[in-house]
Parts: sequence; structure tokens; C-alpha cells
Amino acid sequence: MGDLLVFVLSGLVSGALYALLATGLVLSYSASGLFNFAHGATAYLCALTFYELHSGLGWPAVPAALLVVFVLAPGLGWGLDRLMFRRLAHVGETAQIVATIGLLVALPAAGLWAVELLADAGAPVKPAENRFGLPGVGPSPATSWQLMEGVGIDSDQLITWVVTALVAVALWVLMRHTRIGLQLRAAVDNRSLTELRGISADRLSSVAWMIASALAGLAGVLATPLLGLSAHDFTLFLFVSATAAVIGRFASVPLAFAGGLGLGVLQNLVAGYASFAESITGFRTAVPFLILFGGLLVLTRRARTAGIAAVDAPPVDHLAGASWGRRWGVWAAGAGLLCVAFYTVTTPFWSGLLAQGLAVALVFMSFTVVTGLGAMVSLAQGTFVTGAALVAGLLMSRGWPFVAALAVGTCAAAVLGALVALPALRLGGRSLALATLALAFLADQVLFQLRWLRNGDTGWSVPRPVLGPVDLSDDRALGVALVVLVALVAAGLSALRGSPSGRAMLAVRSAPAAAAASGVSVLRTKLLLFTLSAGLAGFGGVLYASYNTRITATDFTAMTGLVWLAVVVAAGVRRPQYAVVAGLVYAVAPRLLSDYVTESAHLPVILFGLAGLALANDPDGYCAAVPVRRARRRAAASGTSPSPGSASQGVHSRRSTPDPSGVPLPNPRAWHASHSDGADAALELRGVTAGYDGGLVLHGVDLVVRRGEILAVLGPNGAGKSTACRVAAGSLPVAGGEVRIRGRDATGDGAVRRARAGVLLAPEGRGIFPSLTIEENLALYLPEAAARAAVYDRFPRLAERRGVNAGALSGGEQQMLALAPLLQRPPEVLIADEPSLGLAPRVAQEVYALLTELRDAGTALLLVEEKAAGILGVADTVAYLSQGRVAWCGPRDEVEADRLTDAYLGTGT
Amino acid sequence: MLRPIRTLAAAAAAVALVSACNSASTNGTSPGGTGSAPATTRGVTADSVKVGGIVSMTTAGGYSKKDTDLGAKARYLRANAEGGVHGRTIEYLGAEDDGQDPAKNMAAARKLVQQDKVFAVSPMSSVTFSGADFLEQEKVPTFGWGTLPAFCGPRHIYGFNGCLVPTPGGTLNQTWPEGIGRILGGAHGKSVAVIANDSDAGKFGIRTFQQGFTSAGFTVSYAKASVPGTAVPSDWSAYVKEILSSNDGKAPDAVVSVMQTPNNIGLFTALKRSGYKGLLSDPTDYDPGLLAQDATRQALDGVHVLLQFQPFESDTPNMARFKADIKAAAGGKDVPLNMHMLTGYMSADLFLSIVQKAGKDLTVESFQAAAQGFSDTGTLVGDRALPKGQKDSFGCGALVQLKNGAYEVSVPFKCYEPIPFK
Repeated sequence: MGDLLVFVLSGLVSGALYALLATGLVLSYSASGLFNFAHGATAYLCALTFYELHSGLGWPAVPAALLVVFVLAPGLGWGLDRLMFRRLAHVGETAQIVATIGLLVALPAAGLWAVELLADAGAPVKPAENRFGLPGVGPSPATSWQLMEGVGIDSDQLITWVVTALVAVALWVLMRHTRIGLQLRAAVDNRSLTELRGISADRLSSVAWMIASALAGLAGVLATPLLGLSAHDFTLFLFVSATAAVIGRFASVPLAFAGGLGLGVLQNLVAGYASFAESITGFRTAVPFLILFGGLLVLTRRARTAGIAAVDAPPVDHLAGASWGRRWGVWAAGAGLLCVAFYTVTTPFWSGLLAQGLAVALVFMSFTVVTGLGAMVSLAQGTFVTGAALVAGLLMSRGWPFVAALAVGTCAAAVLGALVALPALRLGGRSLALATLALAFLADQVLFQLRWLRNGDTGWSVPRPVLGPVDLSDDRALGVALVVLVALVAAGLSALRGSPSGRAMLAVRSAPAAAAASGVSVLRTKLLLFTLSAGLAGFGGVLYASYNTRITATDFTAMTGLVWLAVVVAAGVRRPQYAVVAGLVYAVAPRLLSDYVTESAHLPVILFGLAGLALANDPDGYCAAVPVRRARRRAAASGTSPSPGSASQGVHSRRSTPDPSGVPLPNPRAWHASHSDGADAALELRGVTAGYDGGLVLHGVDLVVRRGEILAVLGPNGAGKSTACRVAAGSLPVAGGEVRIRGRDATGDGAVRRARAGVLLAPEGRGIFPSLTIEENLALYLPEAAARAAVYDRFPRLAERRGVNAGALSGGEQQMLALAPLLQRPPEVLIADEPSLGLAPRVAQEVYALLTELRDAGTALLLVEEKAAGILGVADTVAYLSQGRVAWCGPRDEVEADRLTDAYLGTGT
Repeated sequence: MLRPIRTLAAAAAAVALVSACNSASTNGTSPGGTGSAPATTRGVTADSVKVGGIVSMTTAGGYSKKDTDLGAKARYLRANAEGGVHGRTIEYLGAEDDGQDPAKNMAAARKLVQQDKVFAVSPMSSVTFSGADFLEQEKVPTFGWGTLPAFCGPRHIYGFNGCLVPTPGGTLNQTWPEGIGRILGGAHGKSVAVIANDSDAGKFGIRTFQQGFTSAGFTVSYAKASVPGTAVPSDWSAYVKEILSSNDGKAPDAVVSVMQTPNNIGLFTALKRSGYKGLLSDPTDYDPGLLAQDATRQALDGVHVLLQFQPFESDTPNMARFKADIKAAAGGKDVPLNMHMLTGYMSADLFLSIVQKAGKDLTVESFQAAAQGFSDTGTLVGDRALPKGQKDSFGCGALVQLKNGAYEVSVPFKCYEPIPFK
């Protein structure tokens, strides 16, 4: 029993650190939707700073810790958010994962480089290597107390517990009892709705990143005595604490916090009682990753599964339909030149380096399959490489010929890939990435510890083959052989992409349900992709090992796989030839940098990490960016005139696709044109064209709403009603035309600024935050308690249930909740997208009554409805929208039944 | 940029790259091939010998061996100050940083040989040695810390104090068991607990030391590779409890850890807190730098540390010269000594001693011939003998004890008779 108590107590120490890190992960995830692999690196950087301030510069521990946690760490979070995370929120998941992996290596290197530079400048900093038993905030060495027989604690543990408890309370107060906390929770619930409510998601993102970084900084300072100054250990620690974030489903701070504590205890208990597994080498080491993998399998919601990349829209293929020569000419010429160069200009050293780059390129092409074609992020490619090479080496030591060993090794990797894929495929996105990472660590720590497989630290010799007259132990011959292999694989992958199975893979990637409906087996397709990719990685791995002439179990670890992914994605993952570029750059760039740029070992790592920044602009990598940008510029130069509005739109024109076909003139029959003097118009749309990447939806829409007036916009499905709402509210930028608020040009304003100017959108469905209580929903719009009390007086039904989550209300009550605070403080303009959708007629009438009341309070209302029946009773003006144009607009009493019919049948123009 | 300018820039970059590739192509030895000419004189001129090094300096794990470079420099400086070897000065290029990365280790070996054209690599000290096969194939004499299997077997690769990885059929170095036996006043009837990390390497360590301690007369009451290998446990109670009752319910006379410093700090602190009064020992914590932190000083107080070279505390002339050389190489500053300096210094020393023996006509072949049958005595690593040192450790060592913030020699440096390893 005493044992159990000790295991629990001391498990709570690492548990507290897990909890701090996991909380930060959840906060930053909810702020910008990305899993921050660099969170542990942030903690390390803070630990390093704390150590230098305290031990190097001689500051007292507490001020140093306070500076790190309250100034430095939040500052770092703020800076990274401004520079990077905010922009990454809009790109695909792969680019997000990779950008933070880049930071994972860059941040520690930056810290060490800074220490190096400071030391050179004569500052009294201490070197960061070989430091053990470092002091934390408490006394060093730690004071220890014996609580009872066999149960003791020390001051470092006590400080960790107390501080973590204080943080838990502070977080609770912050999230539950402050306005910023309320807004943060609202943003987690429905990010776009917070923007429509005038709360800047960017500002929230900054706040969340600052808090997350501060928590990482705190964990770093507290963990200094335990982990020392090992960036590697901090990162491992982070991966484990990811389990706690999974427990909190990346959304719930309290769950993640509790999960972290529980995880520490569980880990300690398993390690303490794992004597049953003593015969399995590495089992105890692997416990955290077993927990991580198990946690992911059990806890991940089946929202998005592997290989669905709705956000990963492919870049425009500017060479679509081009001739073979244009598509491949450059690459073929490059390959030819490389082959010639091997035997003419390159020195032995560079021949070796280029051959190595080509061998790595073979491995890198496996990412083209799994991530490029399959949209799955696999962090286990290093495992497949090691597995295949070890098997091949084992067989060659038994006298097998190279080719046979290569074949068996490749198959072994493929089988390993299938084994990894089977449990992991039901996960998606970051969960799949984490699961493959956990499996990669498990393989490192258990599978590759098997003595018969790894052959100790000696590993296996993988001699280079002699194929007939060609002896590949000459680097030049190996180089040429690799060029041929790389070309074959690239051609094979391109053929696969164009084949029926390749199309099935792409179908599964973008629309699994539709693919399944067309008779494509989603699971089998994904399994095939994963297996193929693992096999390819294994194939490349055996050749890489034969370049090295040896394989040991520690040559390619899980962390290597992480860095590889970053290198490939930075170059571009959609085409095999980009992987070749990545391989060559990976081999050659460090040498060029150290020869011509810098002697420092840190600077290249920092530069590599910052490549992640570039992904925020070109999420498809630098290889893809070059031709795409060139093609775009060529298209621009060849005389396509920009659409009329784009010049005045500034930043917004960037995201919308200009329509080369030009914009039709505003509808000459628009009624308002003769009517409008603009002076009393609360909201005006003038000649607005707008749409999505697929094409334009609105083709020159003019609408005017005045104070105290209800404009009803009617139209059939697909007429562009919701698009018009979104344009009016600022959540969709226009491609052309103008939006004016009270006569002022507001075209360039986003949703936040429009909302602050008094233009609110009640989006289709219900404009509420389902996970917040009624009280909290109201408080977002009405911070003053008196105003909320007035709402409760008016709506006793809401008052009765003020502590209930809004998601538990009926549809009518939810609509009531969305409108109630507006009555209390009427906005300038309310845009309501189908306010009666899904409501019983009686309830819809109630809603219309509320809207009328708003009009009487002076609000200008723009109501969009599909069904005309109810709304015609309240509207002052009616506009018909048909095929993206205003077909008719006029006062309600001029509405004629056949006009209405025409509008719906689309014959009104 | 305008298109023609961009094209020009790209072409210029390509030319620059090709010429960069080509810049080092001076007198071509057979590229990538083995060069079967009888006399290999790469890096040797009438008055100089070119030598490089490979050392892990920057790592993500926070462990660095960068002082190895300083140690080597110190030894070469002295050799050059004494007029070189047979009239040839040593041109030491400094050490390449491999960052504990196998790929970089290989790249560093290739650069030193193919681009810098060194005669030898000394020192080579890292946790990975993927360049070993290449160096062996290119016939590059290489000297370093023999903790990796590549130092045992290949003809051109030498450990500065021998090969430290026992191979079945080879021998086991008995310094540790014999030394601990001496401190305890005899091994018979004494029990020892051996603990290691939960990995294949840990298991192998357990196997060798279990045999070593048993044949020295100890009862091995606990021998487990049970401590997680990646993250340091925050809680040691499970291990402590098991160890302290392993000797038929009682505590063993000695606890021996074959783990790295952070683990040792945790384990020893926990053992002491639970009242353990027996002997503690490990082979890694002889680093005067550790004394700078109060926490490590307290955690390691009383611990006997195994070393396989003369302790810095001994007052032999060799050691005095070592200290003077290091000070000179560090620019006259008193730097705290550590074992990495000694690794570098003695790697260089073994290399120089063989060059000396090879005589005026220095080629790889004459060097290798001189190495066969090379032996000397009384160095900082004891009695050296080749080719025995390419299969076994030189078998010498000492124990030092950390007491009140300073290391004291508890068992003086001595060479022991090795035992066969089964």
C-alpha cells in the first residue's frame, strides 16, 4: 500500500508537468487549429534561459523564473503567432505539422546559438552542454522530507505540485470568470461565429499562444532539475503529454489537465508493476508511447479519418495537358547531366554526397505516396527504412545475394507498414501523425532492440552489390545506378497517379463517401497506399544502407523520420521529382552552408527550421511554388485584365480568384437605383461580384437596407442568398463592387470590423455557441449584468435555464437566444440568413415578431428566406435573387405572385 | 526579376555549384576506389602530416564531447613544439562536428578523406561511428574512444585504451570488480547489485558485468536492465525497493550502475534517502564539471567512479605534462579537466607513438606495419600493446571517490589480468 502511495505521489510530479504542457497544447490548438510539435522545444528554450539567468548571470531563482514565465515565454508565443501560426491557420494540416516540426529543431538551436554568441561576446553565460543536477526555483540540492515509512517528497516535487495547483486555479478563474476566457471558449466552440460577433480571432489567437507559451515556460522551469538541458528529452516529454491533450480531445482544458496528472500516475504504476514484462527488452522504456498509442485509438473521435484533405486543395497544375517534353524535359535533362557529371566534373567527395542524396531521395519518394497522394502524415518512415535495412543486412550476413535481400527487405517494410496502418487508419490528421510517431518510438525501443535483428551495436554489413560488370562500390557507378532507379520510381509513381487506382486514391483523398459510393473501397485504398509507401521507404532504405555499407539499429530513428518529413514537405510532396530535389538538397545543403556560409553548427538548423515559415506562404513547397508563381506571372503579363474591383480591394483581392471573363453591369432594372440617395442607407451593396475558388456566385448584386426597414431577399436554392449574406457581413471578400456602411466604403473590412461597426450576421442555422451556457452566450454580447437581467425579464424561459448549455435548447429557443440580446442593444444592421429554417410555423411567427421589434428599434434588417410565405408579412422591401443577380426589387405591396413564381423558376430576367 | 536575368542567375548558380564540386579536385587519387598502389601517402609531405578529427560537439541531447578536440590539439602542439615526428610537423585540421548523427558522421569521414586528404583521423569520439567502414576501406588510420564495436576488429581503427566492447571469445576487463573488491576488503561473501537501462545495450552490459563480478568472487544479487532508456524516471522507489531487498531480503554490499549521469543522480539520491549505507559505483561520473552543481555534488558524494586511465589526482610526471599541455592549448587558462580531453590527448598520443615507430618513410603501409607489435608501458592509460588493443581493452584502471566536493583516488591506477568472456 505504501508502494502505491509513493507511485501515485511521485507520478503526480511528471503528471503535473504533462498537465501544464497538455493545457498549452489544447489552448494553442483551439486558437489556431494546429498541433504544436514545437511546444516541448519552447519549454526547453525557457529552461535554457532560466538556467543562464540563474546560474550564468547569477540572478536569484525566483525573479529569473518570473521573467521567463511572465515575459519571455509569452513574448515568444506572441511573436511566433504573429509571424507564423496565424498564417498557418489557413493552410493544410500537413504544412501545419511540418512548420512546427521545423520549429522543434530551430528553437533549441537558436537558443544554443545565442548562448554561443553571448559567450563569444564575453557575457558570463555558461555552456549548455553536459549540465546535470541543475537547480530549479527551490533549494539545490532539494530538501527532502520523510512523510512516513518509505514515503518521502522533496522540495522540487512540492514546488511543482503547489505551482501546478495554483496554475489550475488561475486557469479556471481565467477561463470561467473573465471576459477573455469567455471569448476563448467561444472561439473553441465556433471560431467563425466569434468573428461575426466582432471578436477578433487574431487577437484571441495571440492571447492563447501567449498563455500556452507561458505554460510551456513554466513547465520548462519546473522540469529543469528533472530533465536538465536536453532538448531531446523535452520533446519526448511533450509527445507523451500529447496523450493528455488527446484525452481532452484538443478542446477541453480541464480534461487535458486532469488527463496529464492521471497520465503521470498511470505511467509510474505501469513502470512500477511491469515486472511481468522484464523479458521484453525495452518494454518499460516504451510505456509512455504505448499509452499514447492506446489513448489515440480509444479516445479519438471519428470526425475526420486518415487521408481526407478537404482543406488541402491541390495547387493549379499549370502544365495540365502539356506535352511530355514540357512536363519532364527539365527533369530528364537534369538526370542526364547528373549522370555525365559523375564521370566528368564531380570530385569523389561530391560524387559520394550526390549518391547519398539520391539514395535519400528514394526514401523521400515514399512521402510522395503516403502524404502527397494519400494525404496521410506518416512519421514512421524511418522505422520502415531501419526495418528493411536490418532484414536485408541479416539475410546478406547469411549469404543471400543483394537483390534477393533487397526484395525481402522491401517486403518486410511493406508488411510493417500494413501492420502500422491497420490500427492507425481510422484516425485522421494530427491523430494519425501522432499514432505513427508513437509506433515509430515503439519500434525503436522494442522491435529494434531484438538482438537477433539488430546484432548489437555492430549492426549488419550491407556490402554494395556487383551487378555483372558494374561494381557499385565505386560511388560514381552507384550514383548512376541510383539515378536510373530514381527515374524508374518517379515514372512508376506518375503512372500510378494517372492510372485507375491512382484516381481511386485521389477520390478517396478528397471525398471518401463519394468514392465509397462509386465502388472504391476506402479502407483498402488507404491500406494499399500506406503499404506501398512503406515498401518504397524500405527499398530506399536498403539502398541507403548499401551506400553506407552498414546498417545499425540507431541509424534512422523516429526523430529522423520527423526531420525527413519536414525536408520533403518543404520542397513539395505532390510530385516524385520534388522528393528528388529534397533528397539532393538534404545531402548537399549542409556541406555548402558550412563551406561557404558559416562554421556554426546551429545556423543551418535554424535556417532549416525557418523553412517552415515559407510554408505559410507556399503550403505546397518551394519546388511547386517556383513554376506556379512563374505561370501566374506569365498569365498576368499575357494581358488578362484584372477584374474591375480588384484595384480598390487591397488585401482582399489576394484570396479571391479574379474572374477573367469580366463582370456584368449592374442590373438596369434594379429598383433601388432610382431610389437610393445613399444618405440614410445603413448597408449598401453596389455591383458586388463574389464567389468561391470554384467560380463566381454573385454577378453584380445591388442591395440597399435603410434604418428601420426590413429588406427580404427571396430566391431559390443556389441563387446566392447565403453568399450575399456572407459578403454583407464581411466573412467573404468581394471580387468586385463595393460594400458601404452608412455611406462609408467598408469593402476592405473583414467580419470583425464590420461587426464592430454594428453589422451583425445571424448565420444559417443558429447563431449561438452550443457549449457555452445561456448566461455566457448573452454575456458575449451584453457584458453588463443589468442588461442581461433585462433580457431575462423579457424572456423568463431563458432565465429559468440560464446555467444550461445553449446546445441543449430547442431550435426555437436557440433562435430566441440569438436574438434576445440584440433586442436589448439593437445593432445598426442585422443580417439574418434563413431565421425560420427548421422552426415550427408558430415559433417562426414569434421570431418574425422579434425581428419586427428590432426594426422598430431602428435596426436595418436584411432577411434572407427561401420560403416567402411568412416573411412577406413583415418585409418593407423585397428583392428576388436569381442566379446571382437581383431579378427584381421593390416595395412589398408591388410584389406580384407571378413575379415571385418567375423568380423561383429562374425565368424572371 | 526579369526572366533573362533570372535565367542568367540560375546559370551562374549552376556554374558556381559545379565549380564548388570541382574546387577540391586537385591531384586525383582513384575516386571512391580502394587505390591498390603499395604506398599510400595521402596527407604526408616531407615536412608535415595532415590529421583530422570527428567529435560530437553539438547535440539535441545536451551531451557534448567537444573538449576531445582541445585534448588532441594539446598533444599535437607539444609534438610540434618538440620539432614534430621525424621532421614532420602535425597539421591538425581540428575536429568535424558530427552532432551524434550517423549521417553526419559518415559525411565528416568522407570529407576528411576525400576533400581534406588527411593521413589519419585522430581523435574520433562519438556515440555513432557510421564512417568506420569507409575509413577502413580507404585505409585511414583512425584513433578514438573504443566504446563502439567498430574499434574492435578493423585493421586501421584503434581505441586509445583498447577495444572497450567485449566480444564473446575475447576477454573482460576486471578493473571494476577487482577494484570494488579491494575497497570492500575482499569479494568473497559480498553481494553486488548491477542495474542498467532497458535496452539491448543495457542488457549486454548486465551480461558482461554479471560475469565479471561473479568471477571476481562476488554474489550478484540483482542484475537487471530495467530503467527506461529515454526519459529519466521522476520516481526511483520501485527500483530502490527491489535492490534493497535483493540480497535475501537485505541490502547488497555494493550497487553498481551502468547508466548515464542523470540516471545515476536520481538512483543514488533515492538510495541514500532510503538509508542505504553500502558502496555506490558507476563508470561515467568522473567529471570535475559535475562538482560545479550543488545537487550533483551531493547526489554523487561518496560514489566510487571507475576510470580506465590515470586519475587527474595522481601526481605522475605524465599527468603533470598532460595538465601543462592542456593549459598551453587553452591559451594559458586553467580549464577544468575532463575525460574527453584525455580521450583526445591519448588518441593523438597513440597515433604519434606509432608514427614515431614507423620511421622516416611514412606511408599507411609502414604505419600499419609499425602498429603490429607496437607496445609501451607506463602511459596515462597504462601498458599499451597492439594488435591486442584492437580486440581487448588494455585492462588498466582506477577508482576515484567523490568526497566532500573533491575526487580522491580510492583504488590507484593499475593493470589487471583480464578473464575470458563467455
